[in-house]
Amino acid sequence: MSKNVKTSHGLGLSAKNKIGNIIAHVVIVTMCFIWVLPFVGILLESFRMETTMQVGYLIPKDFGIGNYIALFEKTNFAKWYTNTLIVGIFVSIIQTFTVLCVSYTLSRMRFKGRRFLMNMMLVLGMFPGFITVIVLYNILSDLNMTGVNAVPGLILLYTASSGMGYYVAKGFFDTISKSLDEAARIDGASRAQVMFTIILPLAKPIVIYTILTAFMAPWGDFMTAAYIAHNTSEGMNVAVGIQNMIGSQMSLNAHYTHFCAAGVLVAIPITILFFALQKYYVEGVTGGAVKG
Amino acid sequence: MKKRITSILALLVACMTLLTACTGNPTQNPSGDSTGDLKGTYEITVWVSEIDGMKELTEKQIDAFEAANPGIVINATVEGISEANSATQMLTSVEDGADLYCFAQDQLARLVIAGALNKLGDGAAATVKENNDAISVGAASVGGVLYCYPLTSDNGYYMYYDKSVIKESSLDSLEAIIADCEAAGRNFSYELANNAWYNAGFFFATGCVSDWTTDAEGNFTSVNDTFNSDAGLIALKGMQKVLKSKAHVESSNVADFSAAIPSAVVISGPWASKDAQAALGENYAATDLPSFEVDGKSYHIGSFSGNKLMGVKPSTDVKKTAVLNQLALYLTNGDCQLERFNQFGWGPSNLKAQANDAVKNDPALVALAKQSEFAKPQPQIHGSWWDICKLPAVAAKDATTDDELKAALAKYKTDIDALFEMTEDQKQAWSVIGTVNGTNWDTDFAMEKESDNVYVSKDVFAMTAGMEFKVRQGASWDVNFGGDGQPGGANYIVEADGNYKVKLTINADGTAVLELVAQ
Amino acid sequence: MKKLTTAEYSTLNIVQKLLYNIWRFLCAIPTTAISIGKGAWNGIAGFFKGLGFEVVDTINTFRKGDWKTRVSFFIMGFGNISRGQILRGIMLLLFQIGYVVYMILPDLDGLPGGFSGGLYRLKKFTTLGDVVPGEQYDPILDTYIRVDGDNSFDILLYGILTILLCFVFVFLWRVNVKQNKIAQELLAKGKKLPKAKDDIKNLLDGQFHKTLLSLPLIGITCFTVLPIIFMIFVAFTNYGGKYDGYSNLFTWVGLDNFKELFNMGGSDSNLANAFGRILGWTMVWAVLATFTNYFLGILVAMLINKKGVKLKKLWRGILVLTIAIPQFVSLLYVSKLFAANGLVNSFLMNMGWTDAAIDFWGTPEIGRVLVVIINIWIGIPYLMLMATGILMNIPADMYESAKIDGASGFQQFTKITLPYMMFVTGPYLLTSFIGNINNFNVMFLLTGGSIPNPELSTSGGSATDYDLLITWIYSMVTGVTSNYKLSAVIAIMIFVVVATLSVIVYNVMPSTRNEEDFQ
Repeated sequence: MSKNVKTSHGLGLSAKNKIGNIIAHVVIVTMCFIWVLPFVGILLESFRMETTMQVGYLIPKDFGIGNYIALFEKTNFAKWYTNTLIVGIFVSIIQTFTVLCVSYTLSRMRFKGRRFLMNMMLVLGMFPGFITVIVLYNILSDLNMTGVNAVPGLILLYTASSGMGYYVAKGFFDTISKSLDEAARIDGASRAQVMFTIILPLAKPIVIYTILTAFMAPWGDFMTAAYIAHNTSEGMNVAVGIQNMIGSQMSLNAHYTHFCAAGVLVAIPITILFFALQKYYVEGVTGGAVKG
Repeated sequence: MKKRITSILALLVACMTLLTACTGNPTQNPSGDSTGDLKGTYEITVWVSEIDGMKELTEKQIDAFEAANPGIVINATVEGISEANSATQMLTSVEDGADLYCFAQDQLARLVIAGALNKLGDGAAATVKENNDAISVGAASVGGVLYCYPLTSDNGYYMYYDKSVIKESSLDSLEAIIADCEAAGRNFSYELANNAWYNAGFFFATGCVSDWTTDAEGNFTSVNDTFNSDAGLIALKGMQKVLKSKAHVESSNVADFSAAIPSAVVISGPWASKDAQAALGENYAATDLPSFEVDGKSYHIGSFSGNKLMGVKPSTDVKKTAVLNQLALYLTNGDCQLERFNQFGWGPSNLKAQANDAVKNDPALVALAKQSEFAKPQPQIHGSWWDICKLPAVAAKDATTDDELKAALAKYKTDIDALFEMTEDQKQAWSVIGTVNGTNWDTDFAMEKESDNVYVSKDVFAMTAGMEFKVRQGASWDVNFGGDGQPGGANYIVEADGNYKVKLTINADGTAVLELVAQ
Repeated sequence: MKKLTTAEYSTLNIVQKLLYNIWRFLCAIPTTAISIGKGAWNGIAGFFKGLGFEVVDTINTFRKGDWKTRVSFFIMGFGNISRGQILRGIMLLLFQIGYVVYMILPDLDGLPGGFSGGLYRLKKFTTLGDVVPGEQYDPILDTYIRVDGDNSFDILLYGILTILLCFVFVFLWRVNVKQNKIAQELLAKGKKLPKAKDDIKNLLDGQFHKTLLSLPLIGITCFTVLPIIFMIFVAFTNYGGKYDGYSNLFTWVGLDNFKELFNMGGSDSNLANAFGRILGWTMVWAVLATFTNYFLGILVAMLINKKGVKLKKLWRGILVLTIAIPQFVSLLYVSKLFAANGLVNSFLMNMGWTDAAIDFWGTPEIGRVLVVIINIWIGIPYLMLMATGILMNIPADMYESAKIDGASGFQQFTKITLPYMMFVTGPYLLTSFIGNINNFNVMFLLTGGSIPNPELSTSGGSATDYDLLITWIYSMVTGVTSNYKLSAVIAIMIFVVVATLSVIVYNVMPSTRNEEDFQ
């Protein structure tokens, strides 16, 4: 086919490809090196035993797992970790349910006010939600869901408005052909039956994608969660707990390596899940982004 | 349309749940029988410093309080939080905040205004005044009224340095120290552009003052600030020596001693002494701040000396509040302060504890004491000042001419004055000021309008013969009256002891009559 | 420029095509803006027309209605019950009873578990409270206690809820009336009325969308719409600073806050200037952050996808690893790496590439570039994953035919890959642009403690050159001034800017206009 055109550049196809591949590999390896450097740095910090302060060299002089032990012995880390895990699990279940309901409806059904609803949710998402946290805190506080009871409060808070994040899932549903629905409807299935028996089984990637993103979010949230916990150790999630641990200069110096160890521990479940489910994540986000 | 009813009803259920589940106000506790009997069980929350071991020590001390007060059972939840964050966290929601909490002094006025601090009763106030150093008592008071309990008297700063880099002979001169750092390729950590607490030391060195007055509710009424002056200009020039040095690092963290490009000097406070020792090892040393030289004159850098405080949140439950006040008094007594000194090196505010030999010989506290000669007790300062006072230093970093520095100081002054821009109501309002209620011409006590041209003070003053006061309008001396009723006339001098309200009647001819109304 | 035909278009070269497309896009903006405006106008006009129709229809229903219908005007659900639709009727009736009881309840806030009625709340809503909290002295226990008063915050919040409830009531009452009309008509035609069983069946089929949407929409109403309405109301009060609603009540101030922002009689001359500059940087940041991530992400994905590259999964895995560590940990670490005394500087100096340390964060020009670069570090893994999938979806024969035409690799990218990506990921670009405007984490964690810029200081506190609108608001709310009112105004401004921009873009984008094309 196009061989003649290519060779006219003066180089054999295979030779040109080889050089291209070598360059590509060099670029990729350099990139990966840069990308992984901070990760390795944090990992090294977490095994540093000679001091708990920030220091000016990379390789610890004294390796050990003392920082990890200190996390569990000196702080309430186990509680924070469990809290976050519970929140993550509940949020991923409830949020997946909500997102599926909204995105499926908006993708599959045509009804009065649909366009308005979609525009409305898009527009609502543009309000800098952060400043409403003081209101949310007061509502949850009146419902007795703050402080010690922050875990149910956080679950409610994270999931209540999750329907607004319907874009990716709707995009995914849009790519599933509507003729499937129509065939089933002709056979006499109700809309509910169509959804549960025909479409949802096809939507495994987007379900897993939603679960994964919903599960990951609570691990990194410290702004909202800090408000809801209101300085009650029992009600903190991991992010708030360890942010609090380095709340002043003095405690930063006393806990910096513990802080890094905590970061590594948080990364573990997320890494495992991510690598196990990467395939679905890519399929979900791809299908979704196409029409997101 | 038909089925919409279902979803709307569901929305409604949600609304109703919200409305019913939320009581408008928290259930009020019955005010108690006020018989003086405090026996009972109390659920309280206490916020203390987040450093390791403080929580456990506090729990132990609360147990000791229970043992000393049979019949009082306290179920305390003790949480750690940094002193800087505790006020912010309290103000997020005072209702849900801790019953007893520790905080840094600069937050006091803000907390008082927000109703997050409980006035001390007369007995407790007397005890605090008797047992603590005068500076710490001043730090715990707003408008002459004690609002909280002094916890430490050690919030100051001085110089940590690396003995192997800074020569003994350089220690008194800022210029020599900078030269030593630059020669050795080491850094000089001094948080100036980003922290008014540190950069104010340069202004104090040249004799500038920034004195603020508040009323008894914690509102700032006026300021006497001389930073915008020739002396202020000299201070900025001194600061420039540090800011423009290539060795300067904008930080106050002693971890800089072990940074990739390590510092040889860090300006920080007693809380960092342990970490500084760990980072520097045998080269560790600490001393007072050096002097800088401008136009042939030498100025010793000043500093703030401040306190940490413990406060009680006001509640509607009298018995609980009384117990909390007793507990706070206990936790800040000499013995408890000494325990904190022994475990964490916190310098006590309690006079007896200060006299302890170990306290007197503590190296970090000795350096602090050496600096204290040049330190200024930290007064009540408007919260915005901490932001505003960063800016001259930021400007000095880039400025090359005197005019730029002067412009920065002028801007500073404008910003400070803007804090006192008053509403028309405030400009018209009358207040009593003088030596009443233990204040010294630095606190305005509000007056209320009784009828046209007649104003009466809100508070009842316990006056003694010889006390002096005046009334003034808009918290400024532009319009004021004293005993003779003439505008700008002499002070009113009290003739007989008693409890009075002050009554002002303004005449049509521009004079006025001041009266004491016995209560 | 006129619209080209397909044939004419195909004669253009790449640059011309690109320019043509950009031109078309720009041309579409005004017309779209006009049509959106028209749409909004039509919507408003339609709303009032509809309202008029509903009123007339209600009156007609009453005139033509039988006695059951007429009674239903006063007792909701009566018509349903008497005609056999028991379930619907009971739900309506219960709602009415609940509503009426709630509205007429007196002030019960003080009682245990009690809460006040709607009418009482609405009355309070007009002033946001008038009973000022105070303090009381208990002489026996020598203790001051708090005397609760109104709470402006609660009054505002529950006032809004009550108003929402009233709207719901009016709406449901209208539904109730309409149902009677429909039922009457159906019966007149001799048809059967749907029973509860039919209702449920219908909810799973014809009206399935209502079932699916009801719960999510209730959540959004309570936890997104309600708080946003609250904050919009706050923009018209003096909530913030001293007026916290708990100890000092806040109240309505009309448009004062907006005037302050735009220098119309406000006290702060710098707010409009600071707002403009911070908005400018926010926009620059959002564009840079979105597009650098986007293009570089695609490039990286293509690079790894390249035929002949080995260990594809490993490379992807390594990049994805950076997602796993929470940002607040990794960004703190990275921020420290680039500190003036950090590892990067010491590395540069050791290699002899620089003589003096570079103050990355202290020099806004460098620091801003650095933030964008670090944001690439964060964002690329996500983009890479997404692009990987989409690239695989591009039909291979498109590339084959391009190769035959002699297109170089670069031409293939600009002619096939990029247009395809742009087309399918348009909405994603929009959402990530909005996300970047409100990207709190990256900016706050990287540059949180930077030195303020004097030119940006306002009555809301100081700001740095890095501040986005969202971090600016954050420091206003959490800083000493607790300036909720001003932050609410700015939030509304952000909202207006972003919403206008994106509604226009959203409606111009090909992939949303042709929503049905894909199915």
